[in-house]
Amino acid sequence: MKEIYLGVDVGSVSTNVIVMDSDNNVIDTLYIRTKGKPIEALKMGLGQMKSRLGENVKVLGLGTTGSGRHLAATMLGADIVKNEITAHGVAALNIVPNVNTIIEIGGQDSKIILLRDGIIYDFAMNTVCAAGTGSFLDRQAERLGIPIQEFGSLALKSKSTVRIAGRCAVFAESDMIHKQQLGHNQEDIINGLCEAMARNYLNNLGKGKELKPPVIFQGGVAANIGIKKAFEELLGCEIIVPKYASVMGAIGACILAKEEVKKRGKTKFLGLNIADSSFNVQSFECDSCPNMCEVVKFYRDENLAARWGDKCGKWSNVQISQNDEKLA
Amino acid sequence: MKITFPHMGNTYIALKVIFEELGAEVVIPPKCNKNTLELGTLYSPELMCIPFKITVGNYLESIEKGADTMFMWGGCDVCRIGYYNTLQKDILQSLGYEIQMFCLEPMKNINDVKNFLKKLSFVSGSKNYIKVLPIFIKGLRTLYEIDELDDLVIKIRPRELNRGAVDRLYSSFKEDVNNANGYKSIVETIRRYKEKLLKIEIDKDKEVLRVGIVGEIYTVVEPFINQYLIERLGNMGVEVHRSVTSSEFIKEQLDFIPFLKSDKEEVHRGAKPYLNTEIGGHARHTVGNTVLYSEKNYDGVIHLMPFTCMPEIVAGSILSIVEKDKDIPILKLVLDEMTGESGYLTRIEAFIDLLLNRRESKFYERDISWS
Amino acid sequence: MAIKVGIPKSLLFYEYYPLWISFFEGLGAEVIVSDDTNKEILDIGVKASIDEACIPVKIFHGHVINIKDKVDYLFIPRIKSLFKNEYICPKFSGLPEMIKSSIKELPPIIDVEINFFKSKKHLKDTVIRAGRYVSSSNRVIMSSYNRAYLEYKKHRKKIKEGIINELTGADIVKNNIVDVRKVMVMGHPYNLYDSYLNMNLLNKIKQNEAKVFTPEMIDDKYLNKYVKDFDGELYWTFARKLIGTALYLSHKECVDGIIYISTFGCGIDSVVGDIVEKLIRRNSRIPFVHISLDEHSGEAGINTRVEAFMDMIKWRDVLEDNISAHG
Repeated sequence: MKEIYLGVDVGSVSTNVIVMDSDNNVIDTLYIRTKGKPIEALKMGLGQMKSRLGENVKVLGLGTTGSGRHLAATMLGADIVKNEITAHGVAALNIVPNVNTIIEIGGQDSKIILLRDGIIYDFAMNTVCAAGTGSFLDRQAERLGIPIQEFGSLALKSKSTVRIAGRCAVFAESDMIHKQQLGHNQEDIINGLCEAMARNYLNNLGKGKELKPPVIFQGGVAANIGIKKAFEELLGCEIIVPKYASVMGAIGACILAKEEVKKRGKTKFLGLNIADSSFNVQSFECDSCPNMCEVVKFYRDENLAARWGDKCGKWSNVQISQNDEKLA
Repeated sequence: MKITFPHMGNTYIALKVIFEELGAEVVIPPKCNKNTLELGTLYSPELMCIPFKITVGNYLESIEKGADTMFMWGGCDVCRIGYYNTLQKDILQSLGYEIQMFCLEPMKNINDVKNFLKKLSFVSGSKNYIKVLPIFIKGLRTLYEIDELDDLVIKIRPRELNRGAVDRLYSSFKEDVNNANGYKSIVETIRRYKEKLLKIEIDKDKEVLRVGIVGEIYTVVEPFINQYLIERLGNMGVEVHRSVTSSEFIKEQLDFIPFLKSDKEEVHRGAKPYLNTEIGGHARHTVGNTVLYSEKNYDGVIHLMPFTCMPEIVAGSILSIVEKDKDIPILKLVLDEMTGESGYLTRIEAFIDLLLNRRESKFYERDISWS
Repeated sequence: MAIKVGIPKSLLFYEYYPLWISFFEGLGAEVIVSDDTNKEILDIGVKASIDEACIPVKIFHGHVINIKDKVDYLFIPRIKSLFKNEYICPKFSGLPEMIKSSIKELPPIIDVEINFFKSKKHLKDTVIRAGRYVSSSNRVIMSSYNRAYLEYKKHRKKIKEGIINELTGADIVKNNIVDVRKVMVMGHPYNLYDSYLNMNLLNKIKQNEAKVFTPEMIDDKYLNKYVKDFDGELYWTFARKLIGTALYLSHKECVDGIIYISTFGCGIDSVVGDIVEKLIRRNSRIPFVHISLDEHSGEAGINTRVEAFMDMIKWRDVLEDNISAHG
C-alpha cells in the first residue's frame, strides 16, 4: 500500500489538489477552476483524485492553504491550515534550498517572498491591484482573442516596445485599447502588457527590497514565458520556473502537513471517502448590529459542522452541539 | 561644483540665471520624459506625490550628466514638501551618489532672505552675501520675464490664424534659451521672442472659451506632469489662465517687502466664505482663485492635483460647493505616473464641449430675455 | 434639558476622548459619541466624501452622519497644531470645511481652531472659545478643562503603566514572559484602535501568541531622546512619534516584530511609512511588514499577512536557537 500526503490550495480562481509521497516527490497534481464555488470545486477535485489514485493508497495527512483554507479544513479535516505565503515559501525551499527570492503571481493576488539562509525574512502581498494578477491576463487574452497559453510566446515575437500604463486594471485596459487604436501590432501590445505587469510588480511589491538570485517564479502566471522574460530583463538574472509552478501552494501545505503528522502521530483527515459526502451551506444576515454580517452555516451530511462570517464571534465561537459530526 | 535643479515648468530658466551669474557650472536636467518619471517612480515611496517622483527623476538624470549639487525649495509646511529634501537626499545617497543638497526655505522676513543669500554666496565661494543680492534680483526679473512670455503664449495660441505658429516659435525659443548663458543673454532671448510672438497673426475678434487653472503649483506649471494641458487647451481654441505661477508664488513669499505687491489678499478674500485659513500647500489659493474666476465670468475651472495630495483633497472637497454656489463648472484632474493619456484627453474634450454648450445656451437665454 | 454635544468616534478622538468627553460633560452638556465604526458608517462615509480622501477621513464623514441628527452641536475642532513647531495634517486643518461641503443639514459645528504651532500661550483662549458654546462662565469652563486634563493624564498613564518597563528590556525576565513574543503595531491611533477599520488586527496578533504594543506605550522622554538622531526636520506630530518609535526600537531591538498599518492615500504614511521601514531594516534585524488598508481590503488578505508574519517570527526563533546550539 502506497503511503501518500495530500495538499489542497483553494483560491478564488483555482482549486489545486496535489499528492506527494513520503520523500516529498510529487505524484499527481490536479487543477480545477473554482468559479466562485469552492465547495463544489474541492469536492470534484478530491473525487477525481480519489479515482486517479485507485484503491491501494493510504493518506497519512492533509494540509490546506489558499483563501479558502479554513473552508477546506472544515470540509476535509486538515492536519495543518497554513496561509499561502508560508506555504509558498516552504514549497520553494523544497525545490531550491538556497532560494533567496520568490515571485508569486496567482489568479487573484501577487506576492513577493524574500528568504535568507533558508528562512523567510520579508514578504509583501498585493490584493488590491487586479492589474498584476492572472485574472487580468486571462481577461485581456480573451479580449484579444488569443488563447492564454499562447500569450507568452506571442510576447517573445515582439520587435518593438509599447508602453502600457495603469495602476489598476481599468486604466491598464483602457490604455491598452488606446494603444490598439493607435495601430500597434498585437505582439507588441502583448509584450507591453507583460512588461507593464513585471514593472508594476517590482515597483509595487519589490520597492526598496533587495531581490537577490536565485529567483523562483511561481503561481499560475509563471507559465507565461513573456512575463518570465520581462522579469529576467528587469532583474538582470536568470529566473527559475519550477515544474509544478502553478501548484506550489498546495505542495507547501502538503509538506507542512507531513511534518505536523510526524509530530502528532496521526492525521485529522477524514478520509478520501469524504468526497462522497454532501456539503451544504446556508447563510443569513445577522441583524444584531449595523454591520449586518453575512453568517454562513456549513453542513456536512446534513449536520451543522461550522459557522463563520460574523465579525463579533457571536455565531462562530459557539460550540456546535452535535458532537458526533466528525463521524458523519 | 556642478549644480542642478528640477525644471518646474520654466522656473529653471531663472535658476539658471542665478547660478550662472554666481559663477557655478549649471547642469540642466534633460527635458522631463518617460524615463525621468520611470526613474523617479522606481526610487520613490509608492504613494508619494508626483512632483516628488519627477524631481527625483530630474536629479538622477542630471547626475548622469555630471551634476553633484542639487537645489530645491522646501521647508516646513503642513504638506509633504518639507520632507522632500530629507527623503531625496537619502534616496540619492543610498544609491551611492556623493552629492550635496541645498534648499530654499520659505521666506517670511528679511532675515530669511539674508539666510538664503548666505547659502547662495556659498555657491559663488564669496563670503559677502550682500554681493549676491543683485544676482538674486536678476533671477527674480528673469522669472517675471518668463512668466510674462508664457502668459502671452497662452493668450495668442487660441487666436492664431496659422495653426501651430505659436508652438513652432515656442520650441525654437526653448532651444535658444537653453543655449543662452547669463542674465543678459537669457533676458534678451526672452524679449526677442516676445516681439516675435506679438507678430503672429491672430483673429482678434475670435470668441474663445476662458478656462482658469487652479491647483497644486507643480502640477500647474510643469507641462510634463499635466500632460501639456495648457498647450492642448490652447490648440483647442481655449484661453487659459494659470492662477498659480512661480513668479506669483515668489511675490507672495516676498510681499513683506514694501514695493512688492501680490494678489494674495484678493485670493484670500475670495476663499474667505469657504476656507479662511492656510491649511498647507495651495489649498486656499485653489478655493480663492476658483471664486475669483467665477467673479470674472470665466467659462470653467480645471482643478489639478497630484494623486494623494493632502491640501488639494481638502480643496477639492470644498470646490464641490463652490461649483454649485457660483454656478461654474469645475473639472478635477488627478495626476500621477499612472494617468493614461486616452482617458485624460477624453475628459478634457468632454469638459470643453460642456462649456461650449453652456455658453451657447446662455446666449440663447439672453436672447429670449431681450425679446 | 442639557445641551447635546456630539463627538464623532474617529480620527483624534482615539487620542483625546477622555479630555473631550469630560470637558463637555463638566460643563453640563450631554455628550453623544457616535457608534463604533461599522459597515453602515463606512458605507455612508465613503459615499459622502471626496473620492481621493483617505479612509480615516471618509469614515469620519460616516461618524458625523451617524450622530448629526441627534445633537445640538457637533465638536469638529480645526486641529492645526498640537505642539510647538509641529503640524498634524492638512486634512485635519480643513476638516470642518470638508464636512460642511460634503454633508447637508448639519447642526452648528464647534470648529474652534487648535493651533499651538508658535506656542501654547493662547490655550486658555482656545478652551474658552470651545466652552462658550455650552457655558457662559469662563471660570466654569476653565475648571472643567483642568479636571478634564487630569482625566486625560490619568488615561495616558494607564496606557503606559507596566508596559514601558517590558519594552525597555530589563524587566522582561522578571515578568516571566520569556516565551511570549512581542509585536509592535505602528500607525496613527485612529488606524490602530478602530478595530473595524483594521479588521481586528490587534486581536489577530494576540491570537497568534504574541503581546501587542503600540507607540502610545512608549514614554515621550524616550522618543525625544532618539528623535534627536534623525537627520531631517520632523514637523508632523505623527512623524515625530512614529519615527521616534522606529529609532527607539531599532536601537533597543526589544520586540520580535513590527507591523506598520497605513491607509491607502494617506500622505503622511507615504513619507513616514517609508522612513520607518528604512530605519528598521537598516539598523535592526527585527522582522517588519507594512500593511496598507483601504475600503476594499478583504479580511482574508489581512489574515494571511498576519499569519505569515507570525510564522516568519517563529521560524526565525528556531533558526537562532539552532545557531546558538552550534556555536
